Amino acid sequence: MSRSYLFIPGNTPSMLQNLDVFESDAIIIDFEDSVLTYDKDAARILVKEFLTKFNFKEIEIFIRINDSESPFFKEDVLLTNDLNITGYVLPKALPSSIDQLLKITDKQIIPIIESPMAVLRLEEIARKDQIKGLLLGAEDLTKELNINRTLEGTEILFTRSKIVLTCNAYKIESIDTPYTSKDDEQGIYKDSLNASNLGFTSKSCIHPNHVDVINEVFSPSQEDIKQSLRIIKKAETNTKGAFSLDGKMVDAPIIEKAKRVIVQAKKYNLL
Amino acid sequence: MKYSAGSYESSDCIVTVSTHSKTDIIIESIVFEQFGDQIKDVISNTLKEQGIKDILVECFDKGALDYTIKSRLLTALKRMEE
Repeated sequence: MSRSYLFIPGNTPSMLQNLDVFESDAIIIDFEDSVLTYDKDAARILVKEFLTKFNFKEIEIFIRINDSESPFFKEDVLLTNDLNITGYVLPKALPSSIDQLLKITDKQIIPIIESPMAVLRLEEIARKDQIKGLLLGAEDLTKELNINRTLEGTEILFTRSKIVLTCNAYKIESIDTPYTSKDDEQGIYKDSLNASNLGFTSKSCIHPNHVDVINEVFSPSQEDIKQSLRIIKKAETNTKGAFSLDGKMVDAPIIEKAKRVIVQAKKYNLL
Repeated sequence: MKYSAGSYESSDCIVTVSTHSKTDIIIESIVFEQFGDQIKDVISNTLKEQGIKDILVECFDKGALDYTIKSRLLTALKRMEE
């Protein structure tokens, strides 16, 4: 599971060749909005040559292809499917467009939820094969709904909550929408914390300087780690199904949660 | 007719190709003294791999790595084919 997903433009060598210095757990190489129509072919060839030459074992790499109704969709996949990537990020996702992608790749898929219809059909999307997680695309969604985005995010609260619940139920990742103000450090912190408190497992971003904040917010705190270690230690010596720790009842779900915290802490070298 | 790919951004290059009476490679680079030969090799080897002769390749380089030079050349060649 990744904490941060950083979008980088697919036709910009200076960004591609530095993708491992941004410290994002996952990278989404973009073929869609950040690449001019005229340069779609150039981006595909550049990324193919780049990923053939360089190997990134520690980072999950995804490609955001063009949507299934665009003339670039199939070629985006066919030219990159044999590369060492984790999977594809599918814009304007609906069940039918995921079916089209499933026909041409066996890699993981992250659909972007950015239309009212996708929100209504969330469960249908989540239970498709090869789905790694769902990514909220709040900019396009609010554009379609003809509403403004706010820092508090009240206008996307329902969608955020629905995505978190659905992803949790289907045991897939829930990836929050990028925060678009590049230099607003307080804003990105608040927005990340808000997403984390709602239950998102990760957050996407379009600015490399948002990665550190996202990683911090989506990592277990030292206090959580310490408490989880105590819970696991006591559970190992406990013979009953539930026990008391600091006056609070600890049972199987809490022990499982503590184990997940430790797995995450180990993964991100926080122990 | 000329066909191009790439940009003038740092770490990128612009490669332009056109049909020619023989194979010629012209390179202009901010790192020509250090990497001019290497850039020429990348272009020559890519043309060889693609089986292409009698072409003029002009490369305006802004510090591109080998994979970028190769990919910009492949894109320009693809555009010429189409």
